[in-house]
Order: sequence, then structure tokens, then C-alpha cells
Amino acid sequence: MLNYSYVKCKDLTQAYDLLEKEEQVYPLAGGTDLIVGMRGGKFAAKIIVDIKDLPELKILEENDQGIVIGAAVTLNEIATFKPIIDHALVLAEGAHTVGSYPIRNRATLAGNICNASPAADTAAPLMVLNAQVKITGSHGKRTVSINEFFVGPGQNVLKKGELVESVLIPRPYPNGTGVYLKASRTGSVDLATVGVAVQSWDNKVQVAVGAVAATPVRAISVEKAVNENGEKDLARAASLARDDISPITDLRGSREYRYHMAEVLIRRGIEKVMEV
Amino acid sequence: MAELKTVGTSVQRKDAIEKVTGSAQFIEDRYMGPMLHAKMKKSTVAHGKIKNINIEKAKAHPGVKAVLTGKDYPNKIGLYLIDRDFLAIEKVRFWGEPVAVVAAVTEKAAAEAVELIEVEYDELPGVFDPRESMKDDAPIIHEDLGSYEIVPIFYPKPGTNIANHFKLRKGDVEKGFAEADVVIEKEYYVPQMQHVPIETHKAAVQWGLDGKLTVWSTAQSPNVVRQLLAKSFDIPMHKIRVISSYIGGGFGCKAGASVEGLVIPLAKMFPGYIVRIVFNREEDMQGTFTRQALFSKLKTGVRKDGRITALEYEMIWDGGAYTEYGVNIVRAAGYSSTGAYDIPNVKTDSYCVYTNNSIGGPVRGFGMCEMQWGIERQIEEIAKQLDIDPLEVRMINGMKKGSTTAAGQVVQDVDYHKCLKTVADQIGWGKKEGKFRGKGIAGLVKCPAQPSNAASSAIIRINEDGTAHVMIGATEMGQGMLTVISQIASEALNIPIDKIDIKVPDTDFTPYEWQSVGSRITYTCGTSVKRAAEDALGQIYRIAADLLETPQADLTFDGKMVYSTKDPEIKATIREIADSCKKCTGEGIAGPIIGRGSFVPTNMTNLDPETGQGNPGLFYCFGATGAEVEVDPETGVVTVLQLAAAIDAGQAVNPQLCKSQLHGGTIMGLSTALYEEVKFDKGVMLNRNFTDYKISTIDNTPHIESFIIETPETNGPYGARGIGEQPMIAVAPAVANAVCDALDIEFNTFPLTPEKVWKAIQDKK
Repeated sequence: MLNYSYVKCKDLTQAYDLLEKEEQVYPLAGGTDLIVGMRGGKFAAKIIVDIKDLPELKILEENDQGIVIGAAVTLNEIATFKPIIDHALVLAEGAHTVGSYPIRNRATLAGNICNASPAADTAAPLMVLNAQVKITGSHGKRTVSINEFFVGPGQNVLKKGELVESVLIPRPYPNGTGVYLKASRTGSVDLATVGVAVQSWDNKVQVAVGAVAATPVRAISVEKAVNENGEKDLARAASLARDDISPITDLRGSREYRYHMAEVLIRRGIEKVMEV
Repeated sequence: MAELKTVGTSVQRKDAIEKVTGSAQFIEDRYMGPMLHAKMKKSTVAHGKIKNINIEKAKAHPGVKAVLTGKDYPNKIGLYLIDRDFLAIEKVRFWGEPVAVVAAVTEKAAAEAVELIEVEYDELPGVFDPRESMKDDAPIIHEDLGSYEIVPIFYPKPGTNIANHFKLRKGDVEKGFAEADVVIEKEYYVPQMQHVPIETHKAAVQWGLDGKLTVWSTAQSPNVVRQLLAKSFDIPMHKIRVISSYIGGGFGCKAGASVEGLVIPLAKMFPGYIVRIVFNREEDMQGTFTRQALFSKLKTGVRKDGRITALEYEMIWDGGAYTEYGVNIVRAAGYSSTGAYDIPNVKTDSYCVYTNNSIGGPVRGFGMCEMQWGIERQIEEIAKQLDIDPLEVRMINGMKKGSTTAAGQVVQDVDYHKCLKTVADQIGWGKKEGKFRGKGIAGLVKCPAQPSNAASSAIIRINEDGTAHVMIGATEMGQGMLTVISQIASEALNIPIDKIDIKVPDTDFTPYEWQSVGSRITYTCGTSVKRAAEDALGQIYRIAADLLETPQADLTFDGKMVYSTKDPEIKATIREIADSCKKCTGEGIAGPIIGRGSFVPTNMTNLDPETGQGNPGLFYCFGATGAEVEVDPETGVVTVLQLAAAIDAGQAVNPQLCKSQLHGGTIMGLSTALYEEVKFDKGVMLNRNFTDYKISTIDNTPHIESFIIETPETNGPYGARGIGEQPMIAVAPAVANAVCDALDIEFNTFPLTPEKVWKAIQDKK
């Protein structure tokens, strides 16, 4: 049975204070992972700090830096935001596959990455877009590359008292197309068994894969083969992903199937963005 | 037959406005009085002796009113085999079995107290595969099986884990195999699945200060709940009142008695309080009935011309820890073991076997999905080996009027061939659409699985203004019972449906109905209601004849008025007749009109214990499903492009509701075909919620074309038969047959998950 205090924050300072001073304290943006996790015993929250209506976290805009996605912006807002569709389609696609439509009305991008599930559907897209995570706290602000953000399953680089304030899709934007391909058991309202993001940048590709390692990972070996070694056999290039990933067997899929699906989806993704 | 007015039309659901606006009341919506909340302490081992239960800390927890353990419950409970403990006594038989229950002033306090209960177990070796459980050296799960009370149509083997061995011997199976040109033998496996109704199991119980026990329950069958509780708690039936509110889906999981008894001893301790228990999703998945897994071996002998001459079927069912209800699923699958086909020589052995998995029990289809999976898959193998179109094999062997079932019962009013042909035409059977595309067809039959004397009854009260109340014991769980039964009453009474009121059952006020299960209510309750209406109508005519001094034979009733067919000026309004009718002199003729009707089958018999021969079916409903799929050979993903369902409803009382059942059942079947499987690790249910127990969503539902076939059921009300379960049965084999057509790979189990299909493709390479 859940037993916690709920604080609706008036400003970020109040949120920092609580997050820094209290124990077993969790921020709530969408709550779609937090509340479910609390019910399932994953998070022993004593205090919930609700940040979802703070105006500074609701920012979704395009500026000189790029596209800024505030921590309280929902996945449905992201998936339909024109600059994202125009310049970062891979992210719109990833965001669109999280949970169900009603869940995406609540769930946020920041929550998706802070939950740090290896299967997070927005993580691989952010990686291939070289996104930057803007972190804030009572001791100041810092920026971390999305590639450095994840530490392990459920773990990220945030320190006590820190919050993700926003995620930046930096300029210059990729001038090629991107695609997010997801394998799951039902193909709808399901977690990724394997999720692959492929982004074309000036005839080079960036590839990231979810649900195949302790964190979402870049398929560096594949990228190297295609971008540097000019590998034209994309099936062979995709098979190199085996060096970058180390999937496990669980209820959603076996290690063997995940290896296979990572290869298949990477190949298909590259074919698509390179219009092979 | 006279032309029908209401039956056969798609009148609006009786509960439509309530359900759409959210004003329909379910158990949790009601404040019924001062309340205590109950929570269960559950076993952490799958099989073990209870060494010690320490409830002291829990009892001392603030807000806690009482903590009970198994010894506080006097007797076991069960529908057919009385083998089930409310709370484990001395030993636990499955992981998650309740061992103690707490009542507290809040749900939170109860949940906290549960955590303070300490249970020590001596773990016993568990058995999780029924084939292992049948072996001589398997650990025995019910040592006292021999002393359990049981309905004497079941055959347990005391000293073993076999709770029922159903035997069927028809014709001469050896001779049948000798006549065959080809003999095919295969093994099949169907895993456990769950019903996943929107509403979980709930019960609220109040022990009145007058000694009356009131039970509000999500039960599909309040009369059976009353009967089982009366027996288990030794309470006379007039002192128990069971009310089934609207139910948010049943699909079999709320048949029989389930959670009600758990809170009765708590309620007895605190007279006047309502003690309520609400299962959460995980408890509902793991602690209530699951569909029994089936391991089967099927051997078919067939002549070159496609005629099946013999069938030998061995079915080993995973009954789980308790098989009070499951024994009858095993029996039903046994006596139906030729599926929709007329096979002269049959030998079937169907075993219900205890294991330390979750409790097996009824699910939509009641064994038919599992059993007919093997039949419908094996027909594909027959067709392949003989190089005959599989549809043709079905046509050659399919039951017709006058065919006999496995049990030797002669079937009437059958047009299975029309069902097959209809779905075949819809999916363009015989036309290959391309590489990795395939088409499949499967057939089905099901009769209600019920005791031979399962009864039904109805009362119709005619109000002073000529409107009517229909009182029945059937439950409304979304299937549309209230509407269909009202339509039958309206038709028989010749009173418009909007002048008929009908409510969900309350055993103190509504008459007996055995159970709302088995797709039987339209037929059984419908017959009772039709008879009650005819009884009321007879009274209307008798009273009118007296009032109008005209022979009954000359009178007719148009719903508002009774008048003479010879002289229309001789007439009386229904109001004059129904309102304690009197003559013009003031002398009374008759009091209020109360029609009564009841029904008990007269065409069913017990089955011979050695041969299984007899008449187990009240009526037989046939149907077929057609599927077209495309498979991605690289990922194993099966995309179902279209589904076609044809069910012989006899007479659709409400075509729109009928079609809704066809769609709903087809989607549920599709969900099992592709996704659903309960996964256990040594009895621990791993996928207990929707994160990992996946069901079909609207996104993966293809276009479904549904066809209502109408071959009237001679003894059904207006020719109707029940169709609730049937649309699900043939879907999994139809989809699998289509996948096999696409890939030329055999699948002997489902769900056909992407990974399973991919693996099969790899194995073939």
C-alpha cells in the first residue's frame, strides 16, 4: 500500500530543496513510471515532488541553440511538434511508440530518460541526434551529453538534488532522415524487445540500440564499418553490432532473438535512411 | 412460426445509457454501510507444510480488527469436487495461496498488517508439469483425495494426483485404424492463459444482526454461490442472500464460488459491518482460475478418400493446485473429443492432474479451445499427407444432421458446412496471395457443459398499467443478457420492450438460475422466460374471457387491448385486466398477474463410466473461423490481415449483440493465438500484470467480417441457441493454419509470438 507525501512545487527552488534535503524523495513529471514503480515496489518514495506544472519546465521551443524540450513536456506534445518532425523525426517516432496514447498524454521525455530503462524508446533517438541533457540543481547547472547520461539499468548521472531541466536537440540538425524501428511482442502498447534508432548525417549514419545492454548504446562498430570503412554490405555491417551489445534473456525475449533483431533492425534502418 | 416482432431485431441494450454515462453501479461504486477491508497474506512457496503462522504483530497493528488463518474455516468448498481451502490449512499447494486474512478499518492498515504476519514453511518438492505429476513417484498434492466429496460423474484416483480420469470408447478404434490408409500421430501443447476482465474479483459481505448473511459479489452465478456457501458454512439457504451487481466481464473466471467465502468468518465476528475484499490485478491473475494447460497426443486414422476412420486422443490437463471446477472441463473436452467431426471409432482418455501451479478453471470455451486446437491442426496434416484441400477434409468429415458426437449423441439442427463455406468464401479460399502470405480455416462445436439437471426459472409480474417486470437469476457481465431476455419476454407477452423492466439478480427476490456460464442463458433462461410469459399471457386471456364473457379462443391481445376477433367492440384494456380485475358489478375476477416458468433439460443423460457414451449436450452450436496472414520471415512477426467468423446462432435474438459477441470472441481468440501465455517458474507466476501479460489491442485487430448463420434450434426459444463462447474457439487454429500455409512449417503450440515463429523458421533452415 502506498504511503507518501505529495508536494506540488511552486518553483524550482522548492523542488531542489526537497530533493536535496529529504530522503526517499522523487520528482514527478508525468508519473507514468514513478507511480507504477512505487506500486510494484521499485521505488520506495516517501515524498513525491510534483514539477509538472512549473512553467520553466513546460518549454518546448526552437531557438538559436536548437530544439529545447522542457522536462514537463509530454511525449504526445513532442511527437507532434513541427520542428521535431522536420528535423528530428527519429525522436518523434520513438516518442510515439512509448506506451499508449493516454500514457503519452502524461509521460515526459525527461522522465523516460531519467527512469533509465535500457529499453527507453526515446533514448536511442536522442543518442543519434547528439542530444544534450541540461541538468539543474541548487548548486548550479551543467550539461551532459546523452551518450554520457546513462550509467546502468535505472541509473543515470544525476546527483542528489539534481533534476533534468530540459533536453536540447542541438543545431546543426542532421541533414538526412532518421528512423526508429522497434521490435516488441505485440507491436502496440508494449516495451521494446529491441529498439533501434538510425540517423543519417551527411551520408554518414549514427546508430543506437535499446534493450540490448545495461544502458541504451551506440552501435559504434556498425557506424565505423559504414562511415569509415565504406562497408557496402549492410547486413554484414549490421552484424558487427554484436560487438557493441550484450543482451539478456527475459520475459520479453531471449538473448539470441535480441541479437538477431538488433541486426535486422539496424540493417533495415540504415537501408531506410540511406534509401538503399 | 408466426412472424417475430422483437426477437431478431437489434433493439438498444437495456443497460446502454447506464453503461455509457458511467452511472451503472458495480460493487466498488456502492457505499453499503460501515466497512472493514480485507487483505490476504499469500504463500511464498509453491508446495510446503505450514510450520507456524505468527499473527500477533498483525493483530496489534493499529486499525486491525481481526486476523484469521485456515483453522478458522470449518470446511472446504468446490463446485464438483470439494477440494479447495479458503485459506491453506497445514499445507500450501501453490505460490500465492492465501494463508491468512486481515480485516482492518482501512485497506492500508490491512495491507500493512499483512506484512507483519510471519509464516514458516517446510518446503516440499513441487510438481509443475502434469505429465510428471502423473508418475508414480510424484509428490502427492492432495493426500486426502479419497475422502473428498465429489459429484459421482467424476473419477479421481486416490493416492495419485489424478483428480479425474474421463474415459470414452466409441465403436472399435483398433478396427478403425486397421481400415485407415494413413495414420497420423502428433503431440500438442496449449499453455495457461488468463481471462483479464476489466473488473477484478470482488466481494462484500455483511452478517446482519438478524443472522442474515448478505453477499455482494462479482459472481457470474449467485445461486451457485449461495448453494456452495450454505454447504461450506452450514447456513440454511434462506439465511443467505447473494446479489450480483453489474459485472465488468467474467469469461468464466467468476463462475462457481470464488472470493466470497474468504471474508464470511470475518463478517461473522463483526455483525453489521460490511467486510469487503477487492483483488488487485496481480491477485486476480495469480490467485483466481487460470485456463488449464493441455498436453495432448492425438492419433488419427484416415482413408485415402479423406474419411477419418479412427481417433485416439490422450489429454493431460494441468489442473493446478485445486480442481474443484477443472474436473468438468476435462470431462467436457473428453466427451466432445472429435470436435465438429463425425468419427465412428474413438478412444479418449482425458486426465485432470493436480500440480503446484495456479488453480485451473473455466475460461470461455471450457476446454474446447484447447482440445479442438489439436483436432483442427491435425486436419491440416491429414490434408497435406493425402494431398486433399483441408477445407475438403473438413467438409467430408464435418457433422451433419443425424451425425453422432464422440459420446454417441445424435446432433440435430446442424449446418456446419454452411459455416465453413461462408468463411472460406469471405477470405477467398484457394487463392494464393503471395509469398509469406497464407490462409487458414478452422471449425468448432460446443455444447454447454452443465449438469444434466441444471435448471432455470423466471417470474414475470404484470403491473396494473400493463407494464411488466421480468425476474431472473442470470447475470449481466457485458454479454447483453438483460436485453436478450427482455426481447424474449416482449415477444412472448406481445408487450413492447420499453414496457418491460429487468434487473440483475438478487437471490432473495429473483428465482433460481444454475449459472450464467456455458453459453446457455439465451436457451435456458430464455426458455423459462418464454414459459413465464406464456403463463402470464394465459392468465390475461382467462381473465379477459371472464370479464368479456367471451370464449378464450375468440380473443386476441395486441399488447394494449384484448378484443374479440369476431366483434372488435368486445374489448378490454390491459389495465382493466391487470389491475385486480373486477366485473361491472364490482365483483372481483382475479388478482395481480404473476407468470412463472421453469426449465430443466430432459434430453441430457449421465455418461457410461467406461465408454463415456450418452447425451451430454443440451444443444450444439457450430461455427468456423477463417484467417489470412502475412509473416515477416526475418522477424517472425505475424500480421493478421483479415478474420472471418461464422457462428450458427439458430436465431439471433439481437443481431447486433450477436455480432458484438462474434467480434469480441474473435479478438479474444486472436489474442491467445498471437500473444497470451501465463509464464511460470516453478509455480511462481512471472507475468502477473499487463506489463508482461500482453493482450491484443485495437491496434493489432484486423478487419473482422462476422456472419450469423441461422439454422433454428428446435427446442430453443424462437429457435435460438447460445453463442457467447463459440466465436473464440476456432481462432487460434485458423490463424496457425494460415501461418503454416504461409511458411510450410507446423506449429503444435501457440501463441505464435514473433520469437517462436522466427525460431521455427531457423529450425527449418
